[in-house]
Amino acid sequence: MKNKSSGNKIVNPAIVASIVSIFLIMIGFNVVFAAIVSKAFGQNVISGSLSNPYFQIVFNAMMGFLVGWRVNQTRNFRGVLASSAAGAISGAIVAGFCLLLGIIYVNGGDFRSYLTALSPINVNFCLYGLPPIMGFLVTLVTFIIFAFLGGLLKLIPFGRFFSKPAGAVKSFFNKPSIQKTWHNKVFRIFLLILGLSALIILPRLWGSYWNYVIGTVGIYVLMGLGLNLIVGLSGQLVLGFAAFIAVGAYTAALLNAPEPHNLMLGSWIAFIVGIGLAAFAGALIGLPIMKLRGDYLAIVTLGFGEIMRISLKSDLLTSFTGGPRGIQDIKGPVIFGAAFNSDIDFMYLIIMAVAIAIFVTIRLQDSRVGRAWISMREDETVASASGVNPMKYKMLALVLGAAFAGLAGTIFATRNQFTGPEDHTLMVSINALAIVIVGGMGSIPGIILGAFALKGLPELLREFESYRMLAFGALLVAMMIWRPQGFWPAKRPALSKRVKPEDSPPPLPLDPNKEVGHD
Amino acid sequence: MTDVLQIQNVTKQFGGLTAVDNVSIDIPEKSISSIIGPNGAGKTTLFNCISGYYSPEDGKILFQGQPIQGLATYEVAALGIARTYQNIRLFKQLTALENILVGAQPHLTTGWLSAVLHTRKFKSEEYDALVEATHLLDHVGLKGCGDTVAVNLPYGAQRRLEIARALANRPSLLLLDEPTAGMNPQETESMAKFIATLRDDFNLTIVLIEHDMSVVMGISEQISVLDHGVKIAEGLPEEIRANPRVIEAYLGAGTQHLVDKFKRKKNNAA
Repeated sequence: MKNKSSGNKIVNPAIVASIVSIFLIMIGFNVVFAAIVSKAFGQNVISGSLSNPYFQIVFNAMMGFLVGWRVNQTRNFRGVLASSAAGAISGAIVAGFCLLLGIIYVNGGDFRSYLTALSPINVNFCLYGLPPIMGFLVTLVTFIIFAFLGGLLKLIPFGRFFSKPAGAVKSFFNKPSIQKTWHNKVFRIFLLILGLSALIILPRLWGSYWNYVIGTVGIYVLMGLGLNLIVGLSGQLVLGFAAFIAVGAYTAALLNAPEPHNLMLGSWIAFIVGIGLAAFAGALIGLPIMKLRGDYLAIVTLGFGEIMRISLKSDLLTSFTGGPRGIQDIKGPVIFGAAFNSDIDFMYLIIMAVAIAIFVTIRLQDSRVGRAWISMREDETVASASGVNPMKYKMLALVLGAAFAGLAGTIFATRNQFTGPEDHTLMVSINALAIVIVGGMGSIPGIILGAFALKGLPELLREFESYRMLAFGALLVAMMIWRPQGFWPAKRPALSKRVKPEDSPPPLPLDPNKEVGHD
Repeated sequence: MTDVLQIQNVTKQFGGLTAVDNVSIDIPEKSISSIIGPNGAGKTTLFNCISGYYSPEDGKILFQGQPIQGLATYEVAALGIARTYQNIRLFKQLTALENILVGAQPHLTTGWLSAVLHTRKFKSEEYDALVEATHLLDHVGLKGCGDTVAVNLPYGAQRRLEIARALANRPSLLLLDEPTAGMNPQETESMAKFIATLRDDFNLTIVLIEHDMSVVMGISEQISVLDHGVKIAEGLPEEIRANPRVIEAYLGAGTQHLVDKFKRKKNNAA
């Protein structure tokens, strides 16, 4: 009985790992993974080309290591042996699969019509560029060695290893002197100046590529902050957020591009009108959806977003909005006679916009408005019975969120000097929503982190275009399983510290019963 | 003594079910009144009609002489009717103090723009509300728990916090829906005492729905009994205790002799 169960504990994870490995090999992930690793080692990889087949060892080693780590639950030497056994089993399966592929290809078979990733080059890659039998052996040995290492690593008591430094860090920050410095006004101002000067200097230092990437992230932060007011704080699941962005972008474009209207009012006016019109659109869509909640609201706003995109694309409006071609040559802003034309200028503009948005969000979320929003998110009927007017606050969230979206849209269109219907697809709304949820509902640092993770990283990994959505999906699934509250969950302010001692309640003379209820 | 709340011939139907059937109750000012009845008698539905969740099909609800039936819940709250819930309904992710501050919402007047700009009026209003909330927190015995997120508070504390949130509304009428549900006898007793002191401390009229007879009989000055949506009795605690219709509603028809037997036994024991 005992033997059987311990056997399952080795065989089952080994089989799961080999299935996962084979699946990843079949979609060509091992090749991409090797490319990422070789890029990290400084080799430049161009999309489509392959890195050295020896990098296959990285993939096999990783999978073997994971099996070994997983199997050694007992954390003793027997467990290490079990790890090696599991490594041997999954290694044999994976290597057998590669061997099979290799033999079939050597004999002239071809899978490419079924699985595009299984080209002869990729199969060769799986076998380390060696003859099939040699490749089989090397794969098997790699798995066993790294499973052994994975099991061995489990012997090290990491918990104790890390808890000590972590505790030391914690106690360091809890020291009264450190706490005092942290809350010191001068220190805070110093930090603020340091941060500001970094924001001023960095865009000049890190070159136009990074300005482009970080600028895109910044625009998504702006979108995330806008949607955060609507979804994160007031709890209305709005899926048509791209429509508000489109209003901003198209306003900027129509007011400030040679075609189709040649108004050329200048960017600053276009920005202000764009924000205003987006806010107006928020109010307009707000009117019919005020009474809707949850999934109904999601569906209706989803429809609204799509209607917006399709009407921008339609033939009917081509003369007015440029139709499917979109609007080109949007002029950049001019400040004191100097035109914005470099990425650096736009970077500054984006930083300013994000700073304003963060400021407004902080001020709102820590006031009666924010409390009313969150109370509605938590329980709308009770919030209403406590005196919160739900219509008013929902409308406020929608209008302000749409205004943020409008700002993001105007900057986005002006920076790209182009906007078209395909800039405002459902995917944009979903991206913004994912940023809010993955980062942490209602949390500003969470949204910044989320925007970096969901927009910044994929931008940097552009070479691996087709795997971006795969990684994106995997990240979302993993997040929802292991950390549903987001990367950086929102923290509510400690209000009691704000009450001056002279205003805090005196000990009550009459004391109904002081003790707190037990659970 | 005037009646602060007059429920006049209120009827509430859900499809074919008449949950509240032509019920009239007058609640005298500064009284503690109870509404009792078996499960499904329509007590909570009546509360929901008063606080504006439901709009009754028929009848009138007058609060301080003014009709309130059909008003939205937040409008009812602004008039000075606050309530708690049978199953605790706090804003789970807000701190205890913030929960109370949401209750103070009808008394805050500054708009979102002054919140963004931190105007002097906004700051002083927020601070005053915060001080008041701190006092309320202290009053319900939760001093020091102000920054704890509501969901992390123990059960009894959550019940008290719910009352504090209702009090932040500065109500003149407080509706308590089963305030001692899920408490042990000791906690129940202290909660009953606490409710009794609330009336004097905050100059309130209190209406409670309650199943625990010791609480009902101990602190109410008027008891109304509902059964199947119909008011079957009303009066002082001792009148209700002796009312055969009430006993029938709770225990079933033909059980009067059992009750008499039980009483005799109890008297013999004492």
